[in-house]
Amino acid sequence: MVRRTRGALVAAAMVAGLAACGSGGAAEHGRTLTFWTFQPLTPQGGQILERLRTDFEKANGVTVKLVQIPKDDYNTKLGTAIASKNVPDGGYLDQPLVSRYALDGTILQVPAGTIDEKEFYAGGLETNKVGGRLYGVPLDITTVGLYYNKKLVPTPPRTWDELKQAAESVHRADPKTAGIVVPKGDGYGAWMWPGFVAGAGGTLVDEKAKKVTFDEQPAVDALQLWVDLLKSSPRSITDADKAFENGLAAMTISGPWDISTIRDQFPDLDFGVAPLPYKNEPASNIGGENAVVFTGTKNADLAWKWLKHLTAPDSSVALAEAVGGYPANIEGAGIAAAKMGPEHAVFIEALKATRARPAVPQWIQINDEIIAPALESALTGKVAPRQALSEAGAKARTLLGWNG
Amino acid sequence: MASPVPAARPTAAPDPGRRRRRPGTGRRDHLVGWLLVTPAVVYFAVFLLYPALSALYYSFTDWDLRSEANWVGLANYADLFTDDVKYPHFWKSVRVTLQYTLIAVPLTLGTALAQALLVNAVRRGSNVFRLLLFLPVVTAEAAVGAIWRWLYDPQYGLINSVLGLFGVPPQNWLNTPELVIPALAFIAAWQCGISMIIYLAGLKGIPASITEAATIDGAGPVQRFRKVVFPMLRPTTFYLLVTGVIAALQVFGLVYVIFSGGGGKGAAGGPEQSGLAYVLHLYLFAFRYDAMGAACAMSFILLVFIMIITAVQFRFVKQEAA
Repeated sequence: MVRRTRGALVAAAMVAGLAACGSGGAAEHGRTLTFWTFQPLTPQGGQILERLRTDFEKANGVTVKLVQIPKDDYNTKLGTAIASKNVPDGGYLDQPLVSRYALDGTILQVPAGTIDEKEFYAGGLETNKVGGRLYGVPLDITTVGLYYNKKLVPTPPRTWDELKQAAESVHRADPKTAGIVVPKGDGYGAWMWPGFVAGAGGTLVDEKAKKVTFDEQPAVDALQLWVDLLKSSPRSITDADKAFENGLAAMTISGPWDISTIRDQFPDLDFGVAPLPYKNEPASNIGGENAVVFTGTKNADLAWKWLKHLTAPDSSVALAEAVGGYPANIEGAGIAAAKMGPEHAVFIEALKATRARPAVPQWIQINDEIIAPALESALTGKVAPRQALSEAGAKARTLLGWNG
Repeated sequence: MASPVPAARPTAAPDPGRRRRRPGTGRRDHLVGWLLVTPAVVYFAVFLLYPALSALYYSFTDWDLRSEANWVGLANYADLFTDDVKYPHFWKSVRVTLQYTLIAVPLTLGTALAQALLVNAVRRGSNVFRLLLFLPVVTAEAAVGAIWRWLYDPQYGLINSVLGLFGVPPQNWLNTPELVIPALAFIAAWQCGISMIIYLAGLKGIPASITEAATIDGAGPVQRFRKVVFPMLRPTTFYLLVTGVIAALQVFGLVYVIFSGGGGKGAAGGPEQSGLAYVLHLYLFAFRYDAMGAACAMSFILLVFIMIITAVQFRFVKQEAA
């Protein structure tokens, strides 16, 4: 009995000694930060995340627990975790969710001085702002551009008129080839559409004035463009699997994620990437990931430090590579542009003209349930673009409770 | 749930003097019984009853998964039925699901029965055919979605090429609103393996003497099927009909996979919501639009509807073997 007690004492002393050895005296010491990320698409991506984590752990003497979740399941899992009060300290958050989570108090406002806002692309930063306040930091951003088949379209169109002409001449030369894969009236198409609206000088909503603007002229023009393009780009051709990659369509609109896929799977396709054609001014839509800190964390200071680490130029280049987007950090994007090649440089240039999605909590629902069906009803020729959008605008006003 | 003790029945106790405990009815045995069913009861309570009751509660609230739920009474139910701004596609999803059920269930049962008859007729290697016909059931939903997207492809699809042999012009199956539901129902029929196995069991249960007697009486194969086999399979058909309708009304995975396209593009209901199944619509509101309260209400509307449909089937469909 005595013996056993003594043994336990020795063990306890040893543990205490070990703990004392590891102590660096820093306030953070020994704390564990739990952070949720999207599961990287490649093993290399996983290694990059791992490196960012160990760097931070070493520098601060803390443990960072990364929980990797497939992107498609992320929001569902996060919602469940929040409902069961099992929230991580911080995590990724889809851009359109920031306003929702900020308004219901699920995430914390970013303390002043955490990041220098000037170091980031305005479009990416804007996706973190709700009512002018910052609720997250932009990790990586992305946008779409015009992919063109160099054999069918030697010089990429810059404007809408040139785009229409290019599509028509391709389809005229060979009726079995479509000019361009026109986006669909679904959630994904509705995500790309704002890039066109902005290219005509328009916006979707004015949050400050509480005004819906996606039924105004620029938006009508953007939708009319898509409708017009369908004449030279029948759906019966473009609905085929990978119509652009297989040479059935001369152009398509997509993001940087397709560059490597096309190279791998269609090495013979001679393609180029150009900025999104515009009517009045270059513009593009935006996608990407933000990082936030959840209310109820006991490690807020450490979490902000971690996010500062993730958004620094070097880390942001690595992180963007891991998730397949571009650094939201301007200096980081410059490094990435030099490293990644000319097609990527086109997208990175386009990041300057990206516009954030409206920061209203119901945006996903408006995008999917109101705008997308309106686009589709115009694209199928059932309703004229102006009417489709004015009906959608009225619905959005009712849903948002706005008058304008 | 616990069966009443025989002693509780008035007829079982004519003489108090004879109320001796028999094995299996004692208090101790009750305890053992309860212990034995505890895992099942706990499972039922924790994973089915409690979630179902909380869902019922949340269906009367504006819960969004994150903030406190506020009681809104019947507002969710009323809005679902009447508010076409908040829920523009609710009725569409109801129509889609009913159409799907009406096409998919008969098609599945017909295919399953045909397959079962064929497999039953095979003398050699019926195991192989059974396996081949059952494979679609155990194939991962994601793979099924990818394969059928190729089969239905408007330019390269095998379906269009085969139809082309008969002079049918190529169709854009998954992108033409009118064709979406038949296309989905066809996939469901292809996945009828479980029904096929149950039909096969039913066929094996028909005594050979009966069919032989019918043959001796001069009945041909068609007559034998119509007058003997099909009527004798009626309990099987009834069971498959009821469970098939319930499953069809809850179709989700297939539609989700076919139309989500992958790559984080999000799930949608197909062209012009023509494939927006009820449960997919519910899922979108629960997890994409943060309207868990309304989604719970949708699930209870579906529950009540399924109960009514099932009761109607029990009342009006013949279930006994003739």
